[in-house]
Amino acid sequence: MEMLLMGLCMSVFGLGIAALAFGAATRSQSSDSNSTVQPQLPLVKAVAPARFFSDRVAIPPVAPHQQVPIEVLLLQIENHVRMEQAAAEVFLAFPSQARLHSKTSSPFVN
Amino acid sequence: MTHELLNGLSSAEAKQVLGLGTRLIVPAGTELFRLGDPADRLFLTERGRIRLTLPMQVRGREQDVFVEERSPGQTVGWSALIPPYRFTLTATAAVLEAEVIALPREGLREYFAANPAAGHKIALNLAIVIGHRLQLFQTMWVREMQRTVEVRSV
Repeated sequence: MEMLLMGLCMSVFGLGIAALAFGAATRSQSSDSNSTVQPQLPLVKAVAPARFFSDRVAIPPVAPHQQVPIEVLLLQIENHVRMEQAAAEVFLAFPSQARLHSKTSSPFVN
Repeated sequence: MTHELLNGLSSAEAKQVLGLGTRLIVPAGTELFRLGDPADRLFLTERGRIRLTLPMQVRGREQDVFVEERSPGQTVGWSALIPPYRFTLTATAAVLEAEVIALPREGLREYFAANPAAGHKIALNLAIVIGHRLQLFQTMWVREMQRTVEVRSV
């Protein structure tokens, strides 16, 4: 009889332990399921570069009516070449590092 | 008129060289030669200005973009003396009519063979012209490269 009671107690105790273990296991699973959400954070980070590039692309294009006429653009290129040649001539006459990279007022470099 | 290609020649030698050539009038805006054309004549600018251009894509269209301008006394088209004897630029009379003396390559070669001293002087003058062009565009190229590097380093 005593053995039977002891066995019963042990069973109840074991059942309790099993219940506690199950509860603990269930909590850890739920916390694990929460932790599986966290790896999504890098996904948010991964979106950032795309947004960066989209920002660069998002620079509003110059409307055709705002572009300078092609004749004006060609004239600007010619003026740029003339200024660059003049700067290069000065360097060749008096070579120095400062004169090699001297600035001009060309709109293509400012 | 003093031509850079004839520096150091006696007046008799200069007269002989100029006698090999043909005077050409180039109306304003008219092409003297085009990029890729066979180069069998060298030109000495007498009057007006000759624009040298290269093709470039501008807004999706090919445009002749200004590269350099030659004024009276200067030489145009020295590709006529340098293999593979093809013009590497397009030459056009600028705003006003221009006048040039066209010197044929074969005539110059024959003159150099018969007058090596004068030929030597002309060859040295040509080296100065080509050397200056090389140094000028080398400098311009480095300046552009410096700006490209600065833009990419930002």
